[in-house]
Amino acid sequence: MNKIVVEGLKYKYPLSDTLALDDLSFQVKEGEFIGIIGKNSAGKSTLCQALVGLVPHFYKGAYGGKVFIDGLEVKNQTIADISLKVGMVFQNPFTQVTGSKMTVYEEIAFGLENIGIPRSEMIARIDYVLDLLKIEQVKDQNPFDLSGGQMQRMAIASIIAMKPDILVLDEPTSQLDPAGSEEVFQAIQSLSKQGITIILAEHKMEKVALYCHRVLLLDDGKMVDINTPGKIFSRGDLEQHGVAAPVYTRVCKELGVRKAGTSEFPVTLAEAESVLRGRKI
Amino acid sequence: MKSISLYVDKESFIHDFDPITKLLYILFALFLPLILLSFTVSFISVGVSIVLLMAAGVIRKTIPVFSFVFLVLITVVIIQGLFRPENETILFQIGPLAMYKEGLLYALTITLRVMNIVSAFLILVLTTKPSDLVETLVRKGMSPRIGYVIVSVFQIIPEMMASMSTITDAQRARGMETEGKLSVRMKAFLPLLGPVILGALINTKERALALEVRGFNSHVPKTYLYEEKTHALSKWVQAILLLLLVGAGVWRIFG
Ligand SMILES: Nc1ncnc2c1ncn2[C@@H]1O[C@H](COP(=O)(O)OP(=O)(O)OP(=O)(O)O)[C@@H](O)[C@H]1O
Ligand SMILES: [Mg+2]
Repeated sequence: MNKIVVEGLKYKYPLSDTLALDDLSFQVKEGEFIGIIGKNSAGKSTLCQALVGLVPHFYKGAYGGKVFIDGLEVKNQTIADISLKVGMVFQNPFTQVTGSKMTVYEEIAFGLENIGIPRSEMIARIDYVLDLLKIEQVKDQNPFDLSGGQMQRMAIASIIAMKPDILVLDEPTSQLDPAGSEEVFQAIQSLSKQGITIILAEHKMEKVALYCHRVLLLDDGKMVDINTPGKIFSRGDLEQHGVAAPVYTRVCKELGVRKAGTSEFPVTLAEAESVLRGRKI
Repeated sequence: MKSISLYVDKESFIHDFDPITKLLYILFALFLPLILLSFTVSFISVGVSIVLLMAAGVIRKTIPVFSFVFLVLITVVIIQGLFRPENETILFQIGPLAMYKEGLLYALTITLRVMNIVSAFLILVLTTKPSDLVETLVRKGMSPRIGYVIVSVFQIIPEMMASMSTITDAQRARGMETEGKLSVRMKAFLPLLGPVILGALINTKERALALEVRGFNSHVPKTYLYEEKTHALSKWVQAILLLLLVGAGVWRIFG
C-alpha cells in the first residue's frame, strides 16, 4: 500500500523567484526507508517540510501539485492533524527545544501532553525512547545544558515518542560523532523494522547506502532519480549533481569492479569487501 | 544553567501546597486589611507571612527584595512625614524641618500594606516553580499559548544572555576591548545586539515550526505528565481563607 503519494509537487517560498521544489512525483510504500540526497540547497529540507504540511501551511508561498499521506491530501489538513501521522525532526537540534520544560524527561512529554496521551501510557513511551536513544542518564538535566549530540538524540526521542506512522528526519545526526551517528541509525533502523515508514535527508552517503531501501536524488528542486542505493550511486553523473558516492563505491569505480552479474558498483563496506575478496589479483 | 526565576528548590510544607492556595493567600492578604481598615490586622498579616516564609526556609532570599522595597518606602515616609497636607501634630524637629505625626502614621499604613502584599507574593514566587504555577493556571482554563510564552521567557532569556557572553568572548579573543570604562563597554555591547536579536528571531521561527509538529496547536484535550499538585489540607486552608474574607466583609457592612 502506498503510504505517501506525491504528484507534480511544485513550491516557491514567498519572496523567492525560483522554485524550491520543481515538479516532484513519487510514491513511498508503508514501511519503506527512503533517503533524500542532494547538494546544499537542493531542496531536501523543503521536501521534508512538504510531507508534514509546514509547506505550504506554515510558510504560505506558491504551491502546486498534490501530496497525499494515507490517501488524505496534505493541503486540506491542518498541521496538527498531519503531525499525528507524520513526525518530523529538524536539522537544528537547538531550536527544537521548546524552552518551556525544565528537564529532558518533561521535554519529551511536551508533545504527548499536547496530543492527549494518558499519563501511564506517556510514562511508558518516554521510558522507551530514553532507552532507544540512550539518553536515560541525562533525563533529569535541563534540555539547554545538553551537548549538541545529546540534544539531537532528545529531539529524535521527542518525536518518536509521539508514535507517528511516518518519521521524517532532516539530517538527524549532523551534531553526532561517528559512534553516536551509528547508534542513532541503529535506532532508526529498528523502527523501520517495526514497520514505520522513514524519510531521511542526509549527507552521509555511507549511511544512506547501508540503511535506505531507496534513495531520492534531488538537484535544484528537481528529482533526478529515485531508485535503490546500488542504482543511484552507480550513476555516472553523480558529480554533476553535486553528490559524491560512498567511499566504497568510489574505490570500486576506480578499480572498475562491479557486483557480480549486474552493472552496479558495491555501495557498502560489506558489498565492496565481498566483491574485492572474490577478485583474483 | 542560570535561571532568572526566584524559585528556591527546597522541601517544606509551604512548598507542598498548590499554587492556587498560594494565589488565594495573596488575595486574602491584599483584601483583608483593606476591608477591615485596621492597623493591627495589617501588622498581624505581615507577621504571618514572615513566619510562613521562615517555615519555608526562604527568608534569606527575601532580604534583597525587602531592602529594595524599604529603599522606596523610606522616601514615602520622609515625604509624608514632612509634607502631608493634614499634618498638625509635630513629633520632632530637625533644624527647619518638622516631622508630623499624621503623615508618619499615614506612611506607616502604606508601608505595612506594601510589605503585606510583597511578603504574600514572595511566598508564591519563592516556593513555586514558575512552570508549576503556569501549568496550574492552564488546567484552570488559561490558554496554553499564553502559558507557553510565560514559561519559555524564563528559559529563553538566560539562553540569550549565554549567547551574548559567547559572542563577547569571541570578540575579546579577536582583540576587542570589552572591559573597563562605561563608554568602552557600551561600544563593545552595541554591536552584539545585531547578531543576538537576529539570531533570536531566526530561532523563534524555527522553534515555532518545531512546536507545530509537536502538536502545540492540536485541538485534542491536553493531558499532563504530572498529577495536579494538591495538599490534603488545601481545601481546608482555602475554605478558611475565604470564610475569613467573607466574614470580614459582612462585619464591615453590618458591624
Ligand atoms: N524560509 C525560506 N524562505 C525562502 N527561501 C528558502 C527558505 N528556506 C529555504 N529556502 C530556499 O529554498 C532552497 C532549498 O533549500 P533547502 O533548505 O530545502 O535545501 P537543503 O537541500 O535542505 O540544503 P542543506 O543541505 O543545506 O540543508 C534554497 O535555495 C533556499 O535558499
Ligand atoms: Mg536542509
